[in-house]
Amino acid sequence: MVDQTRREFLKLGLAAAASAVTASAIEIPLFGNQNSSMQTQLNNANTQLANLKTRVNTVVGFVSLSITEQSLLEKIVETIIPTDTDPGAKEAGVIYFIDRALAGDYGQSANMFMDGPFVPPAQTGPITVGTQTYSAGSPKVRVGAGTNYQYPLNLREFWRVGLIALQAYANSAYGGNFETLSSANQLLLLQDLWGNKPTSFGKILPSDFAYEFTFMTWAGFLMDPIYGGNQNMVGWTYTGFNGVNFGNFYGEGKDQKTLMVATTPTRLKPASLAQYQQQASGSS
Amino acid sequence: MPTTITEPAADVVILGVGYMSGVIAAELTLPGLTYKVVAITKGPYWDYVNDFSTTKYDEWGVGLGRKYDSPLPLQSATIRNTPQQFALPVRRYTMPIQYHALGHGVGGAAQHYGGTMGRQGPWGYTQKSSTVTRYGQSFLDSVNPHSDLEDWPLTYAQYEPYYVEWEKAHGLCGDYNGSATNQPSDTGYPWMSQNYPLPPSPLTPVGQLFQTATQALGYHPFPHVSALASQPYINQYGVPVNPCVFDGYCGGPCDYACETGAKANAAYRTIPAAMKSSNFTLVLNSFIFRLDTDPASGLVTAARYYDPQGNVHIQPGKVFFNGMWGYNMIRIMLLSGVGAPYIWNSVPASVSGAVGRGLTNGYLPYKGTNVSGTLPSNGGNAYPAGNGSGGSVDIYDLMDDNFDHTNLNFIGGTEVGAGGYPGGGPGNITFAGSVSSASMGGTFKATQKDKYLPTKTTLSSTPFAHDLPTTDNYIDLDPHYTDIYGDPLARLTYDWTPNTYNGAIYLVNKVKDIFTKMGAQNVTIGSPVPPGGSTHNDWWGHHLRGGCRIGQDPNTSVWNKWNQCWSPVLNPVFNIFGAGEITNTSGDNVPSGTHVAGPQSYRAAEGIKQYLALATPGILP
Ligand SMILES: Cc1cc2nc3c(=O)[nH]c(=O)nc-3n(C[C@H](O)[C@H](O)[C@H](O)COP(=O)(O)OP(=O)(O)OC[C@H]3O[C@@H](n4cnc5c(N)ncnc54)[C@H](O)[C@@H]3O)c2cc1C
Ligand code: SF4
Repeated sequence: MVDQTRREFLKLGLAAAASAVTASAIEIPLFGNQNSSMQTQLNNANTQLANLKTRVNTVVGFVSLSITEQSLLEKIVETIIPTDTDPGAKEAGVIYFIDRALAGDYGQSANMFMDGPFVPPAQTGPITVGTQTYSAGSPKVRVGAGTNYQYPLNLREFWRVGLIALQAYANSAYGGNFETLSSANQLLLLQDLWGNKPTSFGKILPSDFAYEFTFMTWAGFLMDPIYGGNQNMVGWTYTGFNGVNFGNFYGEGKDQKTLMVATTPTRLKPASLAQYQQQASGSS
Repeated sequence: MPTTITEPAADVVILGVGYMSGVIAAELTLPGLTYKVVAITKGPYWDYVNDFSTTKYDEWGVGLGRKYDSPLPLQSATIRNTPQQFALPVRRYTMPIQYHALGHGVGGAAQHYGGTMGRQGPWGYTQKSSTVTRYGQSFLDSVNPHSDLEDWPLTYAQYEPYYVEWEKAHGLCGDYNGSATNQPSDTGYPWMSQNYPLPPSPLTPVGQLFQTATQALGYHPFPHVSALASQPYINQYGVPVNPCVFDGYCGGPCDYACETGAKANAAYRTIPAAMKSSNFTLVLNSFIFRLDTDPASGLVTAARYYDPQGNVHIQPGKVFFNGMWGYNMIRIMLLSGVGAPYIWNSVPASVSGAVGRGLTNGYLPYKGTNVSGTLPSNGGNAYPAGNGSGGSVDIYDLMDDNFDHTNLNFIGGTEVGAGGYPGGGPGNITFAGSVSSASMGGTFKATQKDKYLPTKTTLSSTPFAHDLPTTDNYIDLDPHYTDIYGDPLARLTYDWTPNTYNGAIYLVNKVKDIFTKMGAQNVTIGSPVPPGGSTHNDWWGHHLRGGCRIGQDPNTSVWNKWNQCWSPVLNPVFNIFGAGEITNTSGDNVPSGTHVAGPQSYRAAEGIKQYLALATPGILP
């Protein structure tokens, strides 16, 4: 349902551009009735939207990812958290979480220190920066550490470069676009990136990009739905997380003081930040 | 058009308004006192109900986004392991570890800390001389090559009354500190002339199990000390304190802001007291960038700061208190030429200066030194409940010189504890931030199912002996990067020292015995990564210590026994005082540097009063 709605949005917003996209990029027909007029399509979308209101904090549609990025990233996040008998990245709307983040402060690196010079970590030999020479190079850093990212790119650009390089590697090493590969090969390819197998990767280290998309996929599965992912709190339900249900959100009659010294776990239906605020302000 | 504005002169100018500064503000504006006190800080005065109560339950915004914290584009820091390396700037806040969530606004870093506390015992204050007396100079030289360890200027007994005042002001919760007799003659444990003002929050079943097991092994357990109010409270300044509501979005690596004010910090304990006085002025959202000095006397004459419009304000004063914490405290001294900057040399005897010297890291687990085991009968909720520093029980028996170090290759040791509430906040963003190549695909996904609902408790501890100061770990100004106003960033040069590693190798087995006694199964010890060439450690910022030390010798310390600046020797800048976690000489492995630094702010307040009463300004006797 989430999926279908997303594609309807896609068509509505990008109808003109759609013809330029390969079939594999948008692999499901946008509407069952190919002949339907734009007005009918809009009506359908409106019905879908009305249905959405029964779901909490679910907003679908794109503000930043391009058409090619959408279809590629969709398959990446679904490889990282596949759908099985339980919901995965697809049902959680992870791709919307990433899209929102990249469209906003995160993508703009608004809270990052972005002044040059940009010197990569783990340089072993002597390096010269400005007028200074450092005989021992630069420190070795954990991937994902705050000093690890040393690119003159904001995160939106970093993702753009990374996704293009990933697709190029899929074609050169696996003989086709990532979306067309078997799920086993998709996972292998992502592992290649973690292991820095690609020798040329758009001037970024493949493992830095691998960290970034794995991190953001799990974040999209597990952050509050207010940020666009974890739709219907499926990620929280899966992990048994309570959100802001402190024991009595739905009238369960438990409280934190009991839960914090308990020896058996209590499953609480999660509540989201928006629900919490609605309850706190007395509206529902 | 930004302009320059000279403000009316004050008696006391407080730089940065966090934990330590709050005490200075409250003490110097008490009824009956007439000092004009001006306190200047970057960031706002947070209102816990209005600012936090509906928006704090937000892992993405608080944990990763640091929405209540210091913006990195304003100011970052650079880090390297050795003096021969280029230092990399911290570019982004990441998970699982925050490099330097240093705090922003009134209350500083403690707006979002875990509130874990614990006094430093007598040995911490004399560890250099005690070690040399008991084990010999060559022992110290061998455990800490290039040692820059120094004693404190005063003993534990002399600091004890200041501990009491500080604990009362902030409403600390606990029940003594493990002293078997609680007598001043106790040398190992920090005896206390008064118990903590509030009782501990309820102990967890695992905490109680730890208590029984450690007692059976001959140790001296006591409830973990916490600064998260367990009950309603009114401090000596008449400031009322709400009790903790145990929402659980509290401590841990993200460290959440507190929506009730139960989490002790200056904003809800000491600054409200100062605000009652008409002699007190609080200047918000202002970035201090320079201290002006008089070239003849070397004394500080004024502090300069930018207001949010970019105007420069000059705030003259008679005496200044540096409460900017962490590398900010050091950077402002270096930028202003106050005190003698530390100059590194590969030959320890050839180093000079004190500002930036003796950097240590107060919380620095070695990779792989973890001990873990599983309690089969105790499960519970792993999702947030409780708070960030309650519920657990500790021992000090494996810390300091409370056991014989003859034939060992380290000094000091570790506080060991177990049974804390799941109050570290949700584990989602920290988990997402620590992903690896293994964190992908269906098999991995299955490991995450119901992970917040464990039916067994995993015990885990990372013991290590404390980090000792060496001449090779220090802070100076970076030659390449600047803050938003164009001033050089602080550059941290730091690598692991062998004492922490060697201590870990020994202590893991002691902890293993305790866990086994508790009934844990499959108790396993990780394989510690030896020092040298290891991946740059992540625990910067939270608990940096040293770098601006209190001491007995103006050649190696910045502050004297009154927390008054006596560096450099020939032209001491005696009208600036300072305190903070940064002044610890020892980096003792008490988890709470704040609890050790706090009493110094009372000491400094006394020093400032004495200084203002001197007929001729100078060094206090
Ligand atoms: C994430 C985290 C967790 C922690 N957990 C614990 C814990 O569990 N237990 C414990 O004991 N300690 C803990 N600490 C440490 C504790 O918070 C500090 O020791 C304590 O806050 C230091 O007090 P302070 O007064 O020296 O500085 P702060 O309280 O940090 O105050 C410094 C003030 O100076 C201001 N400032 C800095 N630079 C400037 C400038 N240029 N211009 C104007 N103002 C400026 C800051 O905005 C701030 O208001 C933790 C710290 C962090 C970051
Ligand atoms: S758990 Fe208690 S101390 Fe922690 S944030 Fe909540 S109310 Fe404050």
